[in-house]
Amino acid sequence: MQPEIHFDRSWCEALDKRINQDGPWANWEMYKLAYEAEKQLAVPAFSGLVAPNHLPDLDVLPHQLEAARTVIEDMHGKAILADEVGLGKTIEAGLIMKEYLIRGLAKKILVLVPASLVLQWTKELNEKFYIPAVPQKKAYVWEACDVVISSIDTAKRAPHADIVLRQDYDLVVIDEAHKLKNHKTKNYQFARQIKKKFCLLLTATPIQNRLDELYYLVTLLKPGYLGDAESFFKDYRSGKNRVKNEEKLRRLINKVMVRNRRADTGLNWPKRHVQSIEISLTAEERAMYEALSTLKNAEFVEGFSLLTLQREACSSREALYVTIKRMLDRHTAPRLRDLLTSIIEKIQAVKTNSKAEKALEIIRRANDKVIIFTEYRATQLYLQWFLKQHGITSVPFRGGFKRSKKDWMRTLFEKKRPGADRDGGGGRRHQPAILPPHHQLRLAMESDAD
Amino acid sequence: MKQEAIHSYLEDFFRASGCDILDLRPRFIKVKLTIEMDKKLMNRPFYWHYVEKIGARPETQTLAFKTDPAGEEGDFIHFGSPRLHHIFSLSKELGRYVRLYENARSNGGNLPLYPWLGLNFKISFQCDLKRDELMSLGINLFNGTIVKAFQETVEALPLSPKIPDYCYTLAPMIKPLSAVNRLFAVIEAFIHRQDDAWALEARERLRNDLELLERFYEDMEGDAYRDAFEKERDALMEQYKPRIHVSIINGGLFYLTGTAF
Repeated sequence: MQPEIHFDRSWCEALDKRINQDGPWANWEMYKLAYEAEKQLAVPAFSGLVAPNHLPDLDVLPHQLEAARTVIEDMHGKAILADEVGLGKTIEAGLIMKEYLIRGLAKKILVLVPASLVLQWTKELNEKFYIPAVPQKKAYVWEACDVVISSIDTAKRAPHADIVLRQDYDLVVIDEAHKLKNHKTKNYQFARQIKKKFCLLLTATPIQNRLDELYYLVTLLKPGYLGDAESFFKDYRSGKNRVKNEEKLRRLINKVMVRNRRADTGLNWPKRHVQSIEISLTAEERAMYEALSTLKNAEFVEGFSLLTLQREACSSREALYVTIKRMLDRHTAPRLRDLLTSIIEKIQAVKTNSKAEKALEIIRRANDKVIIFTEYRATQLYLQWFLKQHGITSVPFRGGFKRSKKDWMRTLFEKKRPGADRDGGGGRRHQPAILPPHHQLRLAMESDAD
Repeated sequence: MKQEAIHSYLEDFFRASGCDILDLRPRFIKVKLTIEMDKKLMNRPFYWHYVEKIGARPETQTLAFKTDPAGEEGDFIHFGSPRLHHIFSLSKELGRYVRLYENARSNGGNLPLYPWLGLNFKISFQCDLKRDELMSLGINLFNGTIVKAFQETVEALPLSPKIPDYCYTLAPMIKPLSAVNRLFAVIEAFIHRQDDAWALEARERLRNDLELLERFYEDMEGDAYRDAFEKERDALMEQYKPRIHVSIINGGLFYLTGTAF
């Protein structure tokens, strides 16, 4: 039995009016073009992807196409995309979105990503996929725009939460979904409440062996698919953290999760050459580092462990100085002040930074763009100054920047080509970007995609 | 859609919309927009508001498109370009209703033209997947004859927006709206002849997922759970429920000689 048929009669209404008013009538050429346009846009088959025809300048890899096809045809549009980092989950999500948009299966789409990635997603969807995605900035955007990108932290807050929960989303995409592993958090509860016809959860961590995470992510995606929590853990948990009935669980999970591994893609991925370089400290640096142990027996209870101070010392004297100075400003106990003052003297005695010098050597040898990750902001500032002293300009980047500033910094880094202008010494200029380490994943993915 | 086809589509579109074609080479076209097309394509309402307010002479914009990515001048247009899709939707908006007469030569004496209603339909079969089918039908409003592939046939005829000399039109016996209904009935019969396996399978998927959902919420009590359950059930219905949507892409009145069909 064929399903209900809906006849759209809106065309008929204006026909009578035109007959009575003798027009206006379209010209014949335009009429033919309208039909031709619809012929081009019609999708003749349920199966297969049409999105690639709309994306002639996007390089899509075979495993990404297959992932998109599997999600749409076998998983019916609800899936966890759990490819290993760098295999292009964003591309897969973009392809699926595009396919649904072209087929008219999705119109209203919500993309929830970490705040620091909102602009990047917006840019990629617009530039690579021609999807008119809009970053959420004002409350009206939720209702006025079809494809909206926001951080979950914004979306769950008043006044936004109520508006978001009122929308009928056709597709909800959640990036870094492993952050929703705790089902008791507001973020998880909020994500559960959003109405979603199709849903993609992107996660970079292998979740199949973490039963809790797995259960709650799948339940977010398809409530009831793994049954209720109690019987699920009874069936699959053995002891505290081990999995039993693994084969059965895997079969179940494979119907809702796509996970490509580098090795399975059959492609030659750019090899990562990891090299650990040991740096010997100068006598002054060593003295600074060792002075910290004098604090071991001092009572300082600011949640600052000795380990943190040591890490700062290994990053740069600037990083350490900022913290020690702050402690000195706060404390009045004479004994502690003496210790801190003596450490500051040691810091001041340090005139060089062995790691920075090594970095300089590597940058010069690389003769190309370089990205440096630093743990502390003071080190970032220092490095920028240090490189400038050696005729190398750099672009700082960190989470605290406003969106527009991040965008500008990214553009500076992308656009300025190494060697485009030469410095006085005749050597090339490089454009290292200096970033805090948690940006690492993202950039590593970008460089793979290039 | 091939790049050559896109090029000729652009050329046809700008000609049909009355824009001046300034330069036309293989894989390149440069046009000066009419006021109407500038308003529709360029999205600059403030400019038009300003010009109209102070009564200045408007300057419409010039657009250059290349269908060869390596070409030197112009925006590169391919099948995914938002600009092309904008033009597609404009052509659909501007090409919805026609009235045309067959340019017939009379061999002495007056020649009757039969009134036809021609409609181009889009039929979409939708569950969690979707496919479209296009169909063109025509109905003779004088005697009720219905033909298929109407569009393809009339495209081969010489047509004119004005009634030719020595021709007259026969008065329709069937009203346009009841003619539309007759054609909808033809579409419905066509749909019933289609394979319905897709709908059965989608209903099966819906049944399975609904069952899981119901079992999941079975033992949970309270308003919050009931609301959540209902919201998720509605989402499942929207995801899977098979439905068929029939819409009219465009259509119009065609006055044709007795030998046209």
